[in-house]
Amino acid sequence: MDYQFDFHFLTGKADMLLEGLWVTLQLTLYANAMGVVLGFVLCLMAMSKFRMLRWPCQLFIEFFRCTPVLLQIVWFFYCIPILFQVYIDPITMGVLALGLNLTAFNAEAYRAGIQSVPKAHFDACVALGLKSWQQTLYVVLPQSLRTAMPVLLTNGISLMQQSALVAIVAVSDLMYMGKSIAVDAYRPLETYSLIALIYFLMALPISHLVNVFERRQDAAMQR
Amino acid sequence: MNTAEVVVNMPPANAMEAGQFIQLDNVFKAYNNELVVMDGMNLDMRADDRLVIIGPSGSGKSSLLRVLMGLEGIQGGDINFHGQPYIKSENNDSKVVSDELHSRVGMVFQHYTLFPHLTVMGNLILAPMKVHGKDKQSCIAKGRELLARLGLEDKVDYYPSQLSGGQKQRVAIARALMLEPELMLFDEVTSALDPEMVTEVQNVMMQLAEQKMAMIIVTHDMHFAREIATRVVFCAGGKIVEQGTPDEVFGNPKEARTREFLDKVLHLN
Amino acid sequence: MEIDFSIIWPYMPVLMQGLWVTVAITLGCAIAGSLLGFVVSLGRMVNNVLVSGALKLYVEFFRGTPLLIQLFWIFFCFPVVLGISIPPYVSVIISLTLYMGAITSETFRGSLKSIEQEQHDACTALGLKHSTKVIYIIFPQALLRAIPPLLSNIVSLFKESALISSVGIADLMFIGQNISNSTAHPVEFLTTVAIIYFVVAFPLTRLVGYVESRMLTRYAI
Repeated sequence: MDYQFDFHFLTGKADMLLEGLWVTLQLTLYANAMGVVLGFVLCLMAMSKFRMLRWPCQLFIEFFRCTPVLLQIVWFFYCIPILFQVYIDPITMGVLALGLNLTAFNAEAYRAGIQSVPKAHFDACVALGLKSWQQTLYVVLPQSLRTAMPVLLTNGISLMQQSALVAIVAVSDLMYMGKSIAVDAYRPLETYSLIALIYFLMALPISHLVNVFERRQDAAMQR
Repeated sequence: MNTAEVVVNMPPANAMEAGQFIQLDNVFKAYNNELVVMDGMNLDMRADDRLVIIGPSGSGKSSLLRVLMGLEGIQGGDINFHGQPYIKSENNDSKVVSDELHSRVGMVFQHYTLFPHLTVMGNLILAPMKVHGKDKQSCIAKGRELLARLGLEDKVDYYPSQLSGGQKQRVAIARALMLEPELMLFDEVTSALDPEMVTEVQNVMMQLAEQKMAMIIVTHDMHFAREIATRVVFCAGGKIVEQGTPDEVFGNPKEARTREFLDKVLHLN
Repeated sequence: MEIDFSIIWPYMPVLMQGLWVTVAITLGCAIAGSLLGFVVSLGRMVNNVLVSGALKLYVEFFRGTPLLIQLFWIFFCFPVVLGISIPPYVSVIISLTLYMGAITSETFRGSLKSIEQEQHDACTALGLKHSTKVIYIIFPQALLRAIPPLLSNIVSLFKESALISSVGIADLMFIGQNISNSTAHPVEFLTTVAIIYFVVAFPLTRLVGYVESRMLTRYAI
């Protein structure tokens, strides 16, 4: 291997990288806020008794889960302006595309959580005379959240990684900045290595949190 | 052909004498150096003994079986089998000294532990083929005969998931018998069963008892204990508190703790 | 602007060619990646800190960084570091295989760990040797349990493979985007491409559920 690594030039690009990092963080946080809240709403609607409500929601979930995120992003950036005759700034558009994708995945996580509540608990609620909303609020929600939490966090990290795809439609996130630096300096190896490391380090604490959650859950289930 | 020969492997005649079959000498066992489950346990089992171990939960009943099967180690004392060292406490990891002796012991568990990806026959023939190197045809023939004796001849190609609890447990017994053990260990084998299936499993065990199979049984079913045992052992706090014939222990317990325990469990029924 | 889906018909054969590339690369990398993943999952159980540590780092890194960067990195890295130029499609096959290897190694690890202690106890009671236990009891059960999540992994790879368009591989995504740009009809073409992906992936996700329930009734695992 004759290649000489040279990371020195990157110090001059710190501004650009920080700027990109900030965009990535914004995309991740806003899309997660959207996914956590709307995911629950969508999940309840997709489990509704009313077919006219349930079916479109299920279709929405399946469509977002069964097509590439890259395609979803490209579709939003090219088609939304044409279809609705609106201009939306790139970051908002990125949040919208990523957030709706996450909504679909989180809805599934919530659904699995709700289904994991033992059937006997519903019977117990009836036996104890709890009203339907009390049952949902005090028995179903806490248990399903507990089950769903690790999955929500994992989905959240995946979303941060998926957010790199907005670079392809020229949103100036961390990936995009890295790409332009790599091209300008003609040092793709160092640049992509550094960016990969940044993404990796950002995901690390959260994946540890997921591990802690899962271990606790295992312990709780054994009791 | 005498069917008894198919199932029960009789130990040598001298094993009927004391000290010649299973012998526990001052066995000590604790989990995490805290929870003591066997506290200087001594036991002498003859080859014509059918031991039923009773006692409150956590008294070390299951631990005794798991130790004898080589599933867990001990921290003190020795266990001899046929007058030879079988399990030593020197090294926690080396649970069993002699593989040869180990292969003379069979065990049936509370939760069947059948291999879910193998058929009934697959479960039966795996160990004889892989451990004893027997050929497949003779294993299958033997398996069929065994299953027929246990009333399972039509389940040969079933998967465990397609069987009832009682059927699974009978298959588990058949699987252990395939290796022609001299000693069978039964660890609460009817505890997980629906009540209507308990009898079919107990009948199989009685069948083995009639053929003088040596066994150690841990059970909560006192009526069955009285019926099958030649000797009843009452354990509490990791020690053997009292032992004797079923009539002695159930009819006229000497120790206060035994009486107390029997009062509790018998009045429940 | 008029939305007119009839304009897609002349382009259908080209799109199908793209789908073929996507499917071929997905399948190839799924098979190679699963084999790699299985070996890695075993390697991580080895008692050698160096081996298991290195493999852990590999898995964590490929799971913890965006696939897009992995694609770019390998695309640029091989020619520069190794001094050999490789065709783009080889580079993406390497990338996706390494990615799939990391993902599936976790699937296998999970299924290997999911075998209950009782099964190990039963093997000890029957006097099975360690190698016999692993080959006849642990592997078969673990592999059966791994099938549904492996299928899910493959569906994910099928979707993620759209990223190879960014390094110029003419897959379904690449062709769809090109046509949509050159005809200036993104709504029709991008929607059609989305529907094609959906039509392939959706039945596969149903299959996962079906296989799962079949396993449950057949083997109760």
